Amino acid sequence: MTNEELVNYFDVQLFLPDIQAKTKDELFEEIIDQFVKVKYFKNKNIILEMLHQRERLGSTGIGKKIAIPHGRSTSASDILIAFGKSKEGIDYDAIDGKPVHLIFMIIAPPQDENNMYLPILGKMVEILNKTKNRNKLLQAETFDDFIEIISKG
Amino acid sequence: MKKKQLDLLVALQDLDMMIDEISEVKRLGFSADREEELLKARGELVSKIKKPLLYSYEKLKKRYKRAIVPVKEDNTCLGCFIRLPTSLSSIGRTDESVIYCEGCGRILYWLT
Repeated sequence: MTNEELVNYFDVQLFLPDIQAKTKDELFEEIIDQFVKVKYFKNKNIILEMLHQRERLGSTGIGKKIAIPHGRSTSASDILIAFGKSKEGIDYDAIDGKPVHLIFMIIAPPQDENNMYLPILGKMVEILNKTKNRNKLLQAETFDDFIEIISKG
Repeated sequence: MKKKQLDLLVALQDLDMMIDEISEVKRLGFSADREEELLKARGELVSKIKKPLLYSYEKLKKRYKRAIVPVKEDNTCLGCFIRLPTSLSSIGRTDESVIYCEGCGRILYWLT
C-alpha cells in the first residue's frame, strides 16, 4: 500500500475539519450521520453497534491525540474512510488517557476486493506514528491540505 | 422496539468478522485484548436469534466464511455477482423476512 493508493480512499464529503462532539458516543453519531447524509449507509444503528463492539475489545484511541475507530460491516459495500478534527478534543478513553483531536474512521465491507482493509489500517498507523504528520494534520484546514499531507506522509 | 432478525444476524456477522481479525489488528499495534467481551456480546446476540436462522447462518458461514452478503443498488449479489430479480429486491428492501440468493444461497442484505 503506497501513500498515493491510500489517498484514493478519501472523499471530500467525509472530510470533517470541525467536529463538535465532546464524547466518543457523540463523535460516532456525528461521523456516521455524515455517512448517512451522503448515502453511504441506510441503517446507522448497525454501524454504530459494530463500532461500539470494537471499543469493547479495546480502545481505538491509540494515543498522541489520535483515534482510528474501525471495523468491517455487512452494511458497507466499499471501504470508506472519514477524517475528523476536533479543536477542543474528545473524551475518548484513549490508551494514554488524553483527549483525541484527529479521527480516522475506517469502515470496510465483509469482502473487499484485493483485501485492502488491513493494509489501509497499517498504512494509517505508519503515517500517524510520525510527529511531523500529526502536527501538520492538526493544522490542515482544507481537503487539499489534508490530501497533500497524506500523500507525502 | 424489537430488533428485526436480519439486523441481529448482520450484527452477529459484524462481530464474527471482528473476532476473526483480532490477531491481525493487534499486530498493527491496536489495543484488542478483551476478546472475552466480544464472546460475551456474541452469546447475547445469539440468544435473540431464532434457532433455524442461526443454524442456517452457521452453515453458510462454514461454507463461505461470510454468510450474509450486501446487495448493491443495481441488485447485484456481492457474493456471487448475479443480478437478482426485481421482484426479489422489492421484497428485500421492504420486507422483514430473510431472503437467500438464488445463485449462491447466501443471506442477502440490501444496502439501499
